[in-house]
Amino acid sequence: MDIIVGGIFVYAGILKLIDPVQFGLDIDNYKTLPWFLSVRLAFYLPWLEVFCGLALVFRCFYRGGLAILIALIAVFIGATIAARVRGLDITCGCFGHASQHWSFPQHMAVDLGIFVALGALFAFELIRNVNPGPDEWPRSSHRRD
Amino acid sequence: MLALACLPAIAEGFYFRDKVSWQSAIRASELVTVDTAKAWGESALWVDARPDEEYAQDHVPGAFSLNEDHWDELLAQFLPNWSPDRKVIVYCSAQSCNTARDVAKRLRESTQPPMQNVFVLEGGWEEWVKKK
Repeated sequence: MDIIVGGIFVYAGILKLIDPVQFGLDIDNYKTLPWFLSVRLAFYLPWLEVFCGLALVFRCFYRGGLAILIALIAVFIGATIAARVRGLDITCGCFGHASQHWSFPQHMAVDLGIFVALGALFAFELIRNVNPGPDEWPRSSHRRD
Repeated sequence: MLALACLPAIAEGFYFRDKVSWQSAIRASELVTVDTAKAWGESALWVDARPDEEYAQDHVPGAFSLNEDHWDELLAQFLPNWSPDRKVIVYCSAQSCNTARDVAKRLRESTQPPMQNVFVLEGGWEEWVKKK
């Protein structure tokens, strides 16, 4: 599941990297940030997504990547709901042009699906820490056997 | 990781530096002030990108309504009046609205070759009313 979820973020990040100006306009459509911030985030966030996605795929800086992605998707869901409440007709730009004509329920279904998947990965990671598998047991416990 | 993402972002920003307007979502060259637009007089065509109800209440004299709700039929009414030598000024409610920008973008792409001289009115309808 790490690879699938990580791969989704890498894919989504690369789509936005190709056209940062359009992504800046998509962020601007939420009407929560001034343009000078939206356009700078449009260059930064896709790279952050790609790196965090790669962190999940290769299990390197795994917890950091996971925590950042959970924060990103939570902020994004909040912003989408806020935009909806304010009556804004927005395109999320999450997957470039592919998501341009998604309806609000489609946006939310995809976002919540990803959020749940990230939450599940986080839960597995916590469980793994509490009950490490045989491969992760300390060497001393192997010796005792 | 937060810091690591800054490096390629800065490099990409540097690469796109001439293709991005850093201060406004609309390039300065695509904006026109009310005073300049008025000075163009009859040579310019006005396009009202606001919803039908707002257009019906009041609009710039001679402006065509062109919004995304009835795009095809409104565009069909607009295009016979347009010629390549005429400037087009698109406006929406205020500085903060995006519809004028979106309509201007769509207009540019609606003809073959793409429509040139399409501008967005700085400050929108609000600014027009102030300077009427």
